[in-house]
Amino acid sequence: MRARRRAETRTVVTGVIGADCHIVGNRILQMALEEAGFKVVPLGIMVSQEEFVKAAVETDAAAILVSSLYGQGELDCQGLRDKFEEAGLGRIHLVVGGNLVVGKQEWDEVERRFLAMGFNRAYPPGVDLRRVIDELRRDLGGPARDG
Amino acid sequence: MAADVRQSRWQWDEFLRMRKEVLARWPTGQEVDLDEAVAYQQGVPRHRNFALTVLRAKSEGITLAQPRGGFATVEEQIALLRCLQDQGGADLLPLTTDSYTRNERFAEAEKGLAESVSAGRSLLNGLPLVNHGVKAVRRVTEAVEKPTMVLSGTSRPCLTAEVGLAGGATGFLGGGISYTLSYTKELPIAEGIRNYQYLDRLCAHYWEQGVPIHREQPGFLTGTLIPPGLGVAIAVIEARLGAGQGLPHYSVGLGQALCLAQDVAALGALERVCREYLGRFGFGATTLTIASHQWMANFPQDEAQAAGVIALGAVIAGTAGVTQVITKSAHEALGIPSPEVNAAGVRLTQQVLRMLEQWRLPLDPEVETEEAMVAAEARAILDRTLDLGDGDWALGAIRAVEAGVIDVPWSPSRFNAGKALPGRDRFGAVRYLAPGEIPLPPEVREYHRSKLADRSGGEASGMMSERLLADLTAVSRPVSGNFGPDGWRDFQGYAELLRRRAS
Repeated sequence: MRARRRAETRTVVTGVIGADCHIVGNRILQMALEEAGFKVVPLGIMVSQEEFVKAAVETDAAAILVSSLYGQGELDCQGLRDKFEEAGLGRIHLVVGGNLVVGKQEWDEVERRFLAMGFNRAYPPGVDLRRVIDELRRDLGGPARDG
Repeated sequence: MAADVRQSRWQWDEFLRMRKEVLARWPTGQEVDLDEAVAYQQGVPRHRNFALTVLRAKSEGITLAQPRGGFATVEEQIALLRCLQDQGGADLLPLTTDSYTRNERFAEAEKGLAESVSAGRSLLNGLPLVNHGVKAVRRVTEAVEKPTMVLSGTSRPCLTAEVGLAGGATGFLGGGISYTLSYTKELPIAEGIRNYQYLDRLCAHYWEQGVPIHREQPGFLTGTLIPPGLGVAIAVIEARLGAGQGLPHYSVGLGQALCLAQDVAALGALERVCREYLGRFGFGATTLTIASHQWMANFPQDEAQAAGVIALGAVIAGTAGVTQVITKSAHEALGIPSPEVNAAGVRLTQQVLRMLEQWRLPLDPEVETEEAMVAAEARAILDRTLDLGDGDWALGAIRAVEAGVIDVPWSPSRFNAGKALPGRDRFGAVRYLAPGEIPLPPEVREYHRSKLADRSGGEASGMMSERLLADLTAVSRPVSGNFGPDGWRDFQGYAELLRRRAS
């Protein structure tokens, strides 16, 4: 089960933001991150911006992976980058993914909106988790190897 | 105070005490005058009454199609409902609330509503009906000719129900165990049960004043590969708790797994076991109707493939002969559908139902075996629950969750054991990869084990996340044709086939 585990010591925080309770994809993401060797701090469903920041401060996380499936992510994610800046973590790596807006909208436009909001990466529904993990590794500066 | 939740019927003054606090949660609560609301509802014509429509369909053997849907403003909601009614041919209409309302975060709903108005598009995923208030909800329910039901995936339905019912809605979906385990993280089960006892007591009051209100529990739970016996058990307990507050009619449902044989069997077992237990515990006179929810998990992104999922959902509902089928749309994978796409999902479902009307499948013996297994699993969970509660279903449910006897896969609740793990067998039926503490009878355990043993492909190989993902996305993966250039070496060739046919 852990055959492809690589040396990876960094901590990342996962959670479903706002009033959203769609946990399944988020759990799979957690599992895939753990299998890739990350230490995951899973905050579960209905996570407030403050809870994301608090978890990042407490665990010295390298990245925050925000999930949203219910369409209201656009409201919930506004100002998240500012909250991290206020906490002195302005440069933390922020990733968001899921059904981020209400209704069928052009992904390019949705992505632009979330990048403008301060996210480093935004992913559409049904994205391949291997891509998410590969890009996370690359963005964080390659896998940290312990010898 | 929630710790002493029991199955007994609430005294009216007990209800009124809590009601005072409920109505104070948002200013529009003060608009709800129960006597005036009952008088208003007495004037709502029968064809706009949800309970009567469902009961008529049950007596005539008809399956009703019911979409979900909600937008931020009253105008958008009216346009949506008219579209579903006129273009979709919907029999029953939804007032789906937004997720802030579901969590009683009315201040955030207010902000989302304001931003939706200024943006000219809905930023909320449903109708914030509490924020709109009684008069506005009446404008919505009066704008259509079909009955409306409040759909609010919540453990805190009290104020939403007060405003919704006073606003002319005649149905409310939800259950204290199912929604608390599926939609909350921190709320104790006892609180969820208590909140739904309040709602059921309120609806029973309407009934007593001559206004039928349709109560229904949502059997889909987390919507993700729920073993049907578990869904049936929870539905039975919620029906019993509703009847205990004085409801003469209740509807129970299950989410579809898209395994035709198992889904049809499960819906049969649902009605059978529910009737059995209501009768056994003194509620034999309660009318019971069955709802089937089209696929609640990962949908294909492609609209044609999504239409296939919806069509199979209609086949399942029509074959099982349920009274309600709750429909999905081809935009399910992409988020909240437009009214037109939502209506197309209803129309697609109605078309399939119509074609199935004169044509019922003879039951395969496999379906009978499956139904017996689902029923046996449900009864075992129910009997253990009643034992744990010393004869009280409310207390039993609370203790059964604590003990992992009721253990909903993928539940986000920290009170849920989370030990039971489901997967599909090679025929697509949902089985327990691990039952945790769920008390499966030996024959059911063996049945699941043998079905899983048939599963092609090794279980040990690969990463767990990829294996689970394969089961969870079995329906949503892009389709591709069969037979590329590979794999022909083992095929005997058509000359061989012809020889075999000749001999």
